[in-house]
Amino acid sequence: MTIAARLRNATQWLYVLPALLLVVVFVYYPAVDNLRLSFFQWSSFSPKESFVGIQNYQDLAADPVFWSALFNNIAYAVVSVIFQVGGGLVLAALLEEFVAPRLRAFFRTVFFIPAVMSLTVVGFLFYFLYEPNFGIVNQFLTAIGLGDWTHAWLGEEGTAIWSIIAMSQWQSIGYVMVLFIVAIQKIPRELYEAAYIDGATRVQAFRRITVPLVQEMTVLMLIVTISGAFLVFNEVWVMTQGGPNNASHTLGSWLYKSGFFNDQLGYAAAIGSVIFLITFVTSVIQLRLTRGRTVQF
Amino acid sequence: MTSSLVDRPVRRFLTLVAGAAIVLAACSGSASSPSASESAAAPSDSAAASSAASGSGAASASAGANLSGQITFLEKWPDPNYAPYFQKVVSNYEAANPNVKIDLQAVGDQPIKDKLRVLAASKQMPDIYFSWAGDFTKKFVRGGLAADLTSALQGTDWGNSFVPAALQAFTYDGKVYGVPIDLDAKFMVYNTKVFADNGIQVPTTLEDLLSACDTLKGKGIQPIAFGNQYGWPAIHYLTQLNPYMVPATTLATDYEPQSGAFTDPGYKAALQALIDLNTHCLTQKANGISHESAQAQFLAGKAAMQYVESVEFPVFTKAGGASDAIASNWGFFKLPAPKAAAGDANVLEGAPDGLLVNPNSQHMDIVLDFLKYLTNQSNAALLTKMNGWLSPVKGSATSDNAFPQLISVLDEINKADGMAIWLDTVTNINVANAYLNGAQALLDGKKTTDQVMSDVQAGAAKAKTEVGQ
Repeated sequence: MTIAARLRNATQWLYVLPALLLVVVFVYYPAVDNLRLSFFQWSSFSPKESFVGIQNYQDLAADPVFWSALFNNIAYAVVSVIFQVGGGLVLAALLEEFVAPRLRAFFRTVFFIPAVMSLTVVGFLFYFLYEPNFGIVNQFLTAIGLGDWTHAWLGEEGTAIWSIIAMSQWQSIGYVMVLFIVAIQKIPRELYEAAYIDGATRVQAFRRITVPLVQEMTVLMLIVTISGAFLVFNEVWVMTQGGPNNASHTLGSWLYKSGFFNDQLGYAAAIGSVIFLITFVTSVIQLRLTRGRTVQF
Repeated sequence: MTSSLVDRPVRRFLTLVAGAAIVLAACSGSASSPSASESAAAPSDSAAASSAASGSGAASASAGANLSGQITFLEKWPDPNYAPYFQKVVSNYEAANPNVKIDLQAVGDQPIKDKLRVLAASKQMPDIYFSWAGDFTKKFVRGGLAADLTSALQGTDWGNSFVPAALQAFTYDGKVYGVPIDLDAKFMVYNTKVFADNGIQVPTTLEDLLSACDTLKGKGIQPIAFGNQYGWPAIHYLTQLNPYMVPATTLATDYEPQSGAFTDPGYKAALQALIDLNTHCLTQKANGISHESAQAQFLAGKAAMQYVESVEFPVFTKAGGASDAIASNWGFFKLPAPKAAAGDANVLEGAPDGLLVNPNSQHMDIVLDFLKYLTNQSNAALLTKMNGWLSPVKGSATSDNAFPQLISVLDEINKADGMAIWLDTVTNINVANAYLNGAQALLDGKKTTDQVMSDVQAGAAKAKTEVGQ
């Protein structure tokens, strides 16, 4: 290697160094330290850390709340993929295809508004929708003769997490939709015109043109919603704090509750490691599956 | 949070300013003398102001003391009905001590439970912080995060100004760790008009209460408004029911994390009593309703009773925003004990809330001086006047600053054999969680009393190992 090349090499490192340092200090160091802490038992109140080996992970495996939290995360992911990614794409295509250009902006705004609302506000709103005695949901069910279907939506073990998931769909679908609209607008109109001349229906055009050509965005949205679903915390904390009887915990809220209510920080660190493993593996798989399929127009 | 990192630049800045002043003074010669005398006069002005602000007969030590620095104060009353009191006392104190800055933070009842732990874990405890009596406070004591205030509070004038029971609630192993800030007790508030209209007497036994509920229900009135979204409202019933059902000595042993067993049959009887109350009296599907929504039902006259803390009493008064129909028609009674109770029927649920002090505070002098100021006679009376709460400071509630029901609360507290501290703060967190989750499952019919008790026993066993180590 010539001296000039070596110098260039060194300069390259110099340029990335600040960013690298930031990432190492604020991302990798905490992640590694979290793994270390998960082998200890310690609490907020005592600085003493005692090494317990894999005890925290054994406790985790035996903890029914951990498994129900994991199930809730998976439910969150599945429902979010169907409603946010699937529903968002359909909604975007409908707006672009069927709605008069003048009305499009209006509807886009309407669907997008929930995404910019504060979660605390949304939480309050849905608390009142779900309220068992005067909430709109139960009143509506009673009014149409389905009084047997009424529930204390956030207060029953069987319905709490689903009620939170439903709120989340309402809040996020508009956001995904807007991103899909951007992707759809990038598709050249000629492709559609050619298809229609050849006698394609709108549904066929959607399946054969729109869906394949927004694939890049679809993959991105899948990664975002699935890893988002495993990191869910705020929604649960605002709505139920994991209750009733720990039924609506997600891994994130159970981590928080274990660490900062139950004073088991080592155990919380173990949950954190599991969350990291899950999101890391899903991201790697998704990126692998979709590598190098970028479409250039 | 007065870490040296924050302090250092400030100190350096002050040094610079002082240095510059000296240089300037030297340069300007005789012209500087008026300003020098002005600044010399300032301390005595502030001393005069502080003694004026502390009022007549006030036991504040702030007058004349030359304190400077910044302290942090974390409490749990951001509610616009209650926050102004703390803001006012803090700003009065700052006015009296111009070199002192108090960083006042208020977070709600639920969030402070985790906020304190986050701060404890990150070693950023505020100088003064709120805490509930019981194991919640003991945890800070065990972790070395609560200063021993015995020398300031035991046998001193300041210590003697408190009701002894209030100070007792923050005394462990003969040492005082907290300054009580309010007195709180739990009562069944009832709509006197609804009771009279339906021919219902104030019940004196639990059985009477249940049959009163049946009568009300028969007339289409919700007997007791109940919202249990976060679990503690059900725990408050159990806080009072446990001492009714379980002999006092057993109870004291079980509530200690080192010796808790929870095998007395009385505990199951208490859970059964909660189930009975739920079937006869309480709002159904309560796990989905917040305590505040339930309160709205009582305030609207749609429910006959609600089980509330005396610190909530102001919301039933005209000043607190209640309608005339409620404000002039409410009374309260102690949750009645069952006829055949194995425990003490004369125990009253309630506890003082307190403020603890960070032992690593850089400004212990300011902290103690401020706490003395906060709990002096005139500020205690102001607490009762502004927030409608009882202060643990003797003689601070009079008919001038308190509404009649509040004075009656004092009588009830004086009549009681002792106070039963909230079940979820008096016990270890493992036991508290078993109770919090168990009671919710019980109300929902998802667990039996046996299942809940075995969870509680498991929690007690876990608490033993955690505290023992």
